[in-house]
Amino acid sequence: MITRSSDESVHTVADAGGCGGRRTGAGELAADYDSLTAGQVFQRVEYALDAATVDLYVAAVGASHPGYVPPLAVAARAIASLGGLIALPPGTIHASQEFEFSGLVPVGARVSCQATVVRKLARGPMRMLTLETVIDDEDGRTVQKGRSTIVLPG
Amino acid sequence: MEYPVAQGTTLPEFVREVTQADIRRYADASGDFNPIHIDEAFAATTPLKGTIAHGMLVLAYLSEMLVRAFGEAWDSTGRLSLRFRSPARPGDRLTVSGRVESVQRDGGIVCVTCSVSCSNQAGEVVVSGDAELTLPAPL
Repeated sequence: MITRSSDESVHTVADAGGCGGRRTGAGELAADYDSLTAGQVFQRVEYALDAATVDLYVAAVGASHPGYVPPLAVAARAIASLGGLIALPPGTIHASQEFEFSGLVPVGARVSCQATVVRKLARGPMRMLTLETVIDDEDGRTVQKGRSTIVLPG
Repeated sequence: MEYPVAQGTTLPEFVREVTQADIRRYADASGDFNPIHIDEAFAATTPLKGTIAHGMLVLAYLSEMLVRAFGEAWDSTGRLSLRFRSPARPGDRLTVSGRVESVQRDGGIVCVTCSVSCSNQAGEVVVSGDAELTLPAPL
């Protein structure tokens, strides 16, 4: 499941699962926090952004429907997919987030996300993890990048 | 929307009440089913003592304010850097606000930097940070 170099293989996760997920869509074990290392690159995850997903998102957020997939809807699926790659215990919360948008994603498109461990920090019972995500469209063009720092409960 | 935006401009606020139903909808849309967001019995046993909204849901409110202010330019060129300060809970009334901090023309484009934040009904900051985007320069 985990590669330590640039692995271009794609892992399709139809139901990405949320934080706290223990297995990938392919049935492989998700990585435990202790096994992660800075620089570690995860297998690319691919997902579709269909009209039903966008409608749900727009309803939940109270957003205007722009006619394309709102970038934070694209990002939300990417971040949720991390739960299939990393064993995030229930109660994991977000500490900070950065985004850079560079292209719009049409409704119905498939995108792929690759995550990299940037930093691990454990102090006492507190465990923090910083991950970078790069999301590409079907043509391989990067549509957004993100950096997430999460706090795992002790 | 008028160009160029001016330094010191206050962006129109976006106000949204957080509901458990919206949190559930957001979980379904995002695939993030962390029980801290959707399982009230579990969440009650945690230090947070109840469910909280997904951080990304709060960021979505913030992004909505920016797309209302800047249109598609936000969604296609935006940069966001934010820190989560306190949790948003069901029943909270969140107000997202922003201010244009700088406007810099660079050839045919204008780079706009804004400070942005989201606060609850008690005035507690839930999220704060900076947003940047690029607009076409006026002729």
